[in-house]
Parts: sequence; structure tokens; C-alpha cells
Amino acid sequence: MSMLDELKALGVNIEDALQRFMNNSALYEKMLGKLVNNVKDIKVLPSIEAGDYSAACDAAHTLKGVMGNLSITPLYKSYTQIVNLLRENNPEEAKKILLETIPVQDEIIACIEKNV
Amino acid sequence: MRNTILIVDDMEINRAILAEGFSDVYEIVEASNGKEALEIINSNNNIAAVLLDLIMPVMNGIEVLTDMNRTGKIVHIPVFIITASDSETMLMDTYNLGAVDVISKPFIMNFLRCRVGNIIELYRHRNDLEDIIREQVKRIKHINESMVVTLATLIEFRDCETGEHVKHICGLTELLMTACSDKFPEYHLPETEINKIVSASILHDVGKIAISDTILNKPGRLTKEEFEIMKIHTVKGGDILKSIQDVMDAGTYRYSYDIARHHHERWDGRGYPDGLQGDEITIWSQVVALADVYDALTSPRVYKAAFDHETAVNMICNGECGTFNPKLIEMFKENAEKLREKINDESPLF
Repeated sequence: MSMLDELKALGVNIEDALQRFMNNSALYEKMLGKLVNNVKDIKVLPSIEAGDYSAACDAAHTLKGVMGNLSITPLYKSYTQIVNLLRENNPEEAKKILLETIPVQDEIIACIEKNV
Repeated sequence: MRNTILIVDDMEINRAILAEGFSDVYEIVEASNGKEALEIINSNNNIAAVLLDLIMPVMNGIEVLTDMNRTGKIVHIPVFIITASDSETMLMDTYNLGAVDVISKPFIMNFLRCRVGNIIELYRHRNDLEDIIREQVKRIKHINESMVVTLATLIEFRDCETGEHVKHICGLTELLMTACSDKFPEYHLPETEINKIVSASILHDVGKIAISDTILNKPGRLTKEEFEIMKIHTVKGGDILKSIQDVMDAGTYRYSYDIARHHHERWDGRGYPDGLQGDEITIWSQVVALADVYDALTSPRVYKAAFDHETAVNMICNGECGTFNPKLIEMFKENAEKLREKINDESPLF
């Protein structure tokens, strides 16, 4: 099974993504590779735990945009929720969703890492 | 033609997607924060559009828009906000700062291409039209000035003069008006106003069109009655200008009317047609009056030969040609040498 098929099985909307990448699947795969490093750099949880909700919100917002652009729908939906909860001053609920999201994200990232 | 799209986003992934979407039609330049973006916007004249992220380190998208408003760049370069944000207040802020469109991440590439492409075409069209209009305004202004000069020269030829008089009056008016403006605070005027006065001075004798040839071209001295008729050219000049004021801009009209009517007034109140005294006469009419007298003295006329420069200066300073404002006479003396050069300057008027 190719990486894209595996990702599809994990809920990534491959067709939508390829349409956005002008059917350039090589570029799409290259950018998925970049995502691996990005998610290591952009941390939401430490900021929430440190009480810096503004930084947490910015980080979640950045991930929301990137996940959306790469059509990683499950993570896009989660980060959308997290951003909204942080904006509504509900960090507890945001943290809860984030903790549920991390394993899903780890699985997707592991799948990409394995293939690139 | 502007053909470069500037992509501003701190995430390389987002930049790469946008670059891929547009690189078949446009040149692409990228910036990873607002500061880098502004450096490019302010130095690259080929930017056709900016695709701008909002939340970025160093400088955010709102600050970029604010600076583009400050420099006026926002008028000529369409800015698209590409954002994952759905905060209504934030998006409204970007529209208020002149963003043309807000596109949410994740976007649909084909729609984005159409939206950006359409707006770039509109802006190109608008920028082209602005260039055309600017060119036409320049041309109309030139035609307008040429018509005024032509009109004045025609009248002058009827007066059996050479056409040089108009040119001299302009040169002398500019020199004396600038000198008075620089030296005396009460007569200070900005350069744009002085330029209008110079243009207006051309038509100072337009009223001579209403004076009969027998008087206008009489080789000898005018009788008292004839002189009374000759004096009417000031009033007629004002009337003529009043009747054609629509073809002139308001500022130039105001000056030309005043100059045509009052360029024979004198400081001591013994001039005509209104017998104005001192600073009741505007400084521009005083200046044109002096320029007119100086040029009349130094040019040959049907009734007299030309005086040389020194004689003309002495006659004016001794009050042989009527009384002038002492401050104006002071400027006249100070600039006498430059006046002589101006008269001998052969360059065209416009």
C-alpha cells in the first residue's frame, strides 16, 4: 500500500489535497515530509500547561491552517475546535481535545515518517 | 507589466502550495513574515498581488496592511488574506484596511486562481487607465496653456509687436514675483501659485482686442480722448476673461482677471481703471505692471524706439513711468541684471 493510500485510510482527503496541489503528488508528498518537522516545532500543549493561552492559540491556529491545506481532515477538525475553545477562554476543554488529538496526530506522522 | 505574486506565510508548506498554484502564470516571490514582505513590496515594482497570511512572527499581516496604507501601496496592489481564521472581527479589520478578498484555509485551488486572476486583471486595467488619464491631463494642460499663449500672441501681433512681449512678461513676472515672495513675508506665495500667476500674466493685454486699430496702431501720441479709449482695455480684458472663465482653472482665472484689470494701477492711486492705491493692488498685478513698463521701454514701438536696459531701469526708479511699491522697486534694482538676461533668453515659453 502506498503512503497516500495509508493516509487515506487514516482519514486524509487525498483527492482534495491533490486538487489543491494541482495534481502534483510529488510536491504533496514532499510537503507531508516537511509537516513531520513542523509538528515537532509547533507545540500547543506546553503553552497550555504554562498558561500562555495566546501562544497556544497561535500555534493551534498555524496547525489548523497547515492541516487544512494538506487535507488532513481529522487533525484540521481537532485544531479548529481547539482554536475556538481557546478563543472562548476554555483551556480545560481545549486541553482535553488536544490530548485526544495527539495520538491521532502521532499515528499520521509516523505513517509519513515511515514512507519518506 | 506587473506579473509577480508575493506569497507571505511563515509556514513553508502553505507557501509551497500557493507557489505551485500560480507559478505557471506568474513569477513568484516569497516572504516568511511581514517585515520581509514589506521590504519586497517597497522595492519590487512588479508585484501584481500579495497573498498574505495574518498570524506570523516578527510582523503580522495586519501590520503589513497598515504600512501599505501609510505608503499608498494598497491602492495599486491587491492584497488577498489567506487565513485559517474565522474570527469575524479580525477579517473585518482586514477589509477595513483595504484587503480585496479573504480566502479561508483550506482553499480550493481552482477557485483561488480565478479570484486572484480576475482581481489582478481589474487592477491592471485600473492602473493602465490611471496612466492614460494622467497623460491626458498633462496633454490638456499643455493644450490649454498653448491656447492662452496663442490668443495672447495673436492680440499682440495686431498691436504690431513681435510676439516677444508675452514671453518677456512671463519671464519678468516669474523673476520679480519669486524675488518678492522670497524677500517679503507679506508677499510670500507657494511656487504653485507663482506658476499660476506667470500663466495668468500672459493675458494681461487681452482687452486690447476691443480697441480699434486706429488707436492701437497710431504712430504718434494719443489724444486725451484716444487715451481714454485705450485705458478701457483693462476693463474689457477683465470682461473677456470673465466670459471665458469656464475654460480656465479657477486659480488661474482669478489671477488673470485681476491682472488684466489692474496692471495699469499705480502705487500712488494715479493709475486706472479703479484708482486703487498701495496694497489695494494685489502684488501680482503690481509685478505685472512693472514688468509691462520695463518691457515696453526696452522694446521698440510704433511711436518710439527701444531704450537700453540702463536707461529703462533709471526711468522706472526715478518715477518717470508712475509710482511703484518701494519694496518692488528694491527687488527690481536687486534683480536688474537678471532681468536683462531674461529678456535676452531665447528659449521657448512652454
